[in-house]
Amino acid sequence: MDAHTLLQVRDLHVAYRTRLGHVSAIDGISFDVHKGEILGLVGESGCGKSTLGKALLRMLPSSARIEGEVLYEGGTDLLNLDLHALRDFRGRRASMMFQDPMTSLNPVQRVDEHIVEAIEVHEPDTSKEEALERARVLVERLGIQAQRLRAYPHQLSGGMRQRIMIGLGLVLNANLIIADEATTSLDVIVEANLLDQLREVREEFGLAMIVITHNIALVAELADRVAVMYAGRIAEIGTVYEIFDHPSHPYTQGLLKSVPNIKLDEQEELYKMPGEPPNLTHPPSGCRFHPRCPMAMTICTEREPDMIDVGSGHLVHCWLFDQDAVKSQASKKVSS
Amino acid sequence: MTDHVQESPHLVEVRDLKKWYPIHKTFLDRILAGRQNYVRAVDGVSLSIRRGEVFGLAGESGSGKTTTGRLIVRLEDPTAGEILFDGRDLARLGPEELRKERRRMQVIFQDPMASLNPRMSLGHTIGHGLRIHYPEQSDTHRDQIMEIMEKVGLFPARYFFNKFPHQISGGQRQRVVIARALITRPELVLADEPIAMADVSVRAQLLALMNDLRDEFNLTYLFITHDLATAKYICDRIGILYLGKMVETAPIRTLYAKPLHPYTQALLAAVPVPNPHERRTQPMPEGEIPDPIDPPPGCRFHPRCPMAKPICSQEEPILREVEPEHFAACHFSEQFL
Amino acid sequence: MSDEKQEGTLEVPQWQLDLDQVGFVRRIFLARRWFGGDWWFVAISAVLLLFIITVGVFPQWFAPHDPRAEVGPSLLAPGEPPAEYVLVAPIDAAVTDIRQVATSSNRIGFVIGSPASQALREVTDRITEEDQAAGMDVRYQPRPVRFELLEQGLEALRAEDIDAFVVEPDIYEEVAGDYPEFEVATLLRPAGDSGFVLGTNQIGQDIFSRIIWGTRIAIIVGLSSAVFAVLLGVPLGLISGFVGGWPDRVLTLLMDSLYSFPGLILAISIAAVLGPGIGNIIVAIAVLYVPTYFRIVRGQTLAVKQELYVEAARSLGAKAWSVLWEYIFPNVIPSVVIIFSVNVADAILTEAGLSFLGLGLPPDTPDWGIDLARGQDYLRRAWWLITFPGAMVSIVTLAFSMLGESLSEILNPRLSEL
Repeated sequence: MDAHTLLQVRDLHVAYRTRLGHVSAIDGISFDVHKGEILGLVGESGCGKSTLGKALLRMLPSSARIEGEVLYEGGTDLLNLDLHALRDFRGRRASMMFQDPMTSLNPVQRVDEHIVEAIEVHEPDTSKEEALERARVLVERLGIQAQRLRAYPHQLSGGMRQRIMIGLGLVLNANLIIADEATTSLDVIVEANLLDQLREVREEFGLAMIVITHNIALVAELADRVAVMYAGRIAEIGTVYEIFDHPSHPYTQGLLKSVPNIKLDEQEELYKMPGEPPNLTHPPSGCRFHPRCPMAMTICTEREPDMIDVGSGHLVHCWLFDQDAVKSQASKKVSS
Repeated sequence: MTDHVQESPHLVEVRDLKKWYPIHKTFLDRILAGRQNYVRAVDGVSLSIRRGEVFGLAGESGSGKTTTGRLIVRLEDPTAGEILFDGRDLARLGPEELRKERRRMQVIFQDPMASLNPRMSLGHTIGHGLRIHYPEQSDTHRDQIMEIMEKVGLFPARYFFNKFPHQISGGQRQRVVIARALITRPELVLADEPIAMADVSVRAQLLALMNDLRDEFNLTYLFITHDLATAKYICDRIGILYLGKMVETAPIRTLYAKPLHPYTQALLAAVPVPNPHERRTQPMPEGEIPDPIDPPPGCRFHPRCPMAKPICSQEEPILREVEPEHFAACHFSEQFL
Repeated sequence: MSDEKQEGTLEVPQWQLDLDQVGFVRRIFLARRWFGGDWWFVAISAVLLLFIITVGVFPQWFAPHDPRAEVGPSLLAPGEPPAEYVLVAPIDAAVTDIRQVATSSNRIGFVIGSPASQALREVTDRITEEDQAAGMDVRYQPRPVRFELLEQGLEALRAEDIDAFVVEPDIYEEVAGDYPEFEVATLLRPAGDSGFVLGTNQIGQDIFSRIIWGTRIAIIVGLSSAVFAVLLGVPLGLISGFVGGWPDRVLTLLMDSLYSFPGLILAISIAAVLGPGIGNIIVAIAVLYVPTYFRIVRGQTLAVKQELYVEAARSLGAKAWSVLWEYIFPNVIPSVVIIFSVNVADAILTEAGLSFLGLGLPPDTPDWGIDLARGQDYLRRAWWLITFPGAMVSIVTLAFSMLGESLSEILNPRLSEL
């Protein structure tokens, strides 16, 4: 195990039982998160990215069945922790930011009380004055004036609330923050400020972050490594430069060509990816992207490919990179 | 049906539009405060939309872009100002005449699930406009509905005709909303963040669809969005709103290449670019969007503006033509030319 | 040209097209997988209710007897055949036929509370009829004498205070030894071969037939009052919520004041004012529920009015009436349906309560409430008098409630098919 590895996810499966049958929201995902890195998890609705974020902290409803391993610092399997240890982990080691912080902040509790309470729960030996002081220092560093600490959540703007959420993670010296669509509901200038904030925080505290979003431009701005998810599986994972400069999976290629780019000399036309993300109660056979893939082969409809290394840690989940498969599959399946 | 004095080149003309929402405080508050307070959602916006163009209205939350759009199609009544549709002042029309005029201006809403009646079949929903405005053609209604369903990509139409909104996907729903809006062959279409709620890979399809339909049906779009990157692919001209006022407006490529207002500059720089080699290095203005109840004096952006001077807090800049076709409301626009 | 369009369109998956081929009946069964427990509730209660309504509409097919006729001895336990009764008389009296001791100058004794008295009356009525038909001018009407205990009666017989004693042969057998001068003179009434399924009440009416016919009243009153309440409350709620303003305020005030009355008391007052009769009961109960529908429908109307799709309709240029009928009404109806079933259940209970208190229906109507009232005093001796009418009220109420509650889950259109 690499000394730099913070989290290792191995063969994670998450399934729900719903009215209409068995839904496999995450179907065999493996990846690493290194210390101090920002991993961007990108995908459309239904790809399972939010489920993944919650599964890591075991915050899924009880109807979900989780299998696999999530190893923290090479040792503890998060999925096997008892509730006491889990509570300790959540907050002290890892913390989560949601899309709407209004629902994670107690509306009838002032912000400073909230932070102090978090400290008291996890570090009960701290005195109240100490806790308040830590809270104040931290919040000021995040760009919020100290007097706003006495406010209730609804009196703060969306951007400020998100900063409080970052603060809650930092105040307990967490080393992992999972941000699930944390900037989706924010205006673009506020979002930009928050991104700057996250970068600073990472520089200073050495936090690792998993940034879950559907906004590809966001990961381009922020992430060190990127994992592209589709229909419950990772289609492709690699450094941000690898992914954007050499997208290998047909889905990634299509996605990048269909994302609007504000720069005038870039991306003049948007690629229209055919079809829609699949319905997970009736997922396509084999590789789940094959109905929409312009390069689908017969084998793609039958079996799922493995994750294939195409160099320098860049992994692709696609038959096109399996030499044997490509050689034996001469014909191209008609996809539509 | 309509008699306008002259065919103006502008389909829509808006002059000094205002919408102030009164805040009903208690009687006691009013005595103590001394006056009624208002949320100035739209505070003096002027614009004009040419026939056949796509006019983008962009801004952040609280900018008044959605309210402006709604005022133009008369979903709400303005507090002050003029709205001319095809040369006629809509405010002068009686309720029955206004209802008939609605055939010519339709809306595509942001949330397709919420804007479709969950208990009405899709065919019925799409055809509603026909039933209202062309009841005499009732035997051709079904054919017309099928035709437009296929045009927006709901194929085969007879499969979708009897379905209900919860039985189809988000992207399909938005196509239904588009079909519903276009079936009466309107001239103006208000598109209120039409693709914001669709999946990323579907947005390109919907944008392409809207572009194709614009050509085919000779439409004029008022495209409201907060996403400036998307606007590049559909808008001809764009207006940027901040706190109820128009700060800049120009053809879109001109504005993106050479923004003449500090707010526009900040906005354009803030938009993330899907290219890791072009990460933003420019710092962003601090602070938040101020309270629309009590906007800052003078130029509304001055508290956050990196180049604010004393004049900015005293005198409100007016929207003026800094270079041909390019209007900006800043005292110092010239220095950005 | 069509290829161009197809590029942007989706491919309808085969399984969705297949689902469309499935017929309505099969879809109901497919729904079983989707809804699980709720489906079973709806299915069971629907079948039950269908059965109950059939019984209510055609009681004559199900009831073996006329509910108002005295078809058997009184207070017969369920299933118990009518007992055999014999006449005990002194041997010296040489009684061989009941007629000898049944004239108006005779006195016949029996144990208090036993069906013996009814058996005696039955027989004397019968022989009176027979002899009168044969032309004789007689009337058999012995004077009944009640005794607390069998021994007291037999002592009285010994003391010649009475002429004969009516008793069941088995009971007499046990003490016959003590009374050698008596004999079982004659058979008063032979044992019946079959009893009544649910027993008989104090008048001798078949309880089973009565509750079958009671279903008719319950269904008629329950359904009619619910229907009237809907016809009045729903449109008022719709219009009030949609129009708003002062008409809304006035109506709301009126409905709220009605609503604040405790249900049964309001029904009693209205029934008392209107007088007896099934029509008036229906009106009384209907008025009781109008405010409920009004409030629910008005609340829903106000909520739906704010929805984006209603605004979309307005932006199309739809007229107010069209918006109300096509957009608001269909989205408000599911809640009405649910309340309706629970309403019927409650109406049946209220009706039973009203007739229990003696309001509304003529006293001998076969009605569950009336039977409950009449059977109160007999709870210990003859539990079947109130148990079965009570059970019927519970079952029918439960069936309607079950239907209502489980429908609420199924009728929800937001149920995503993923």
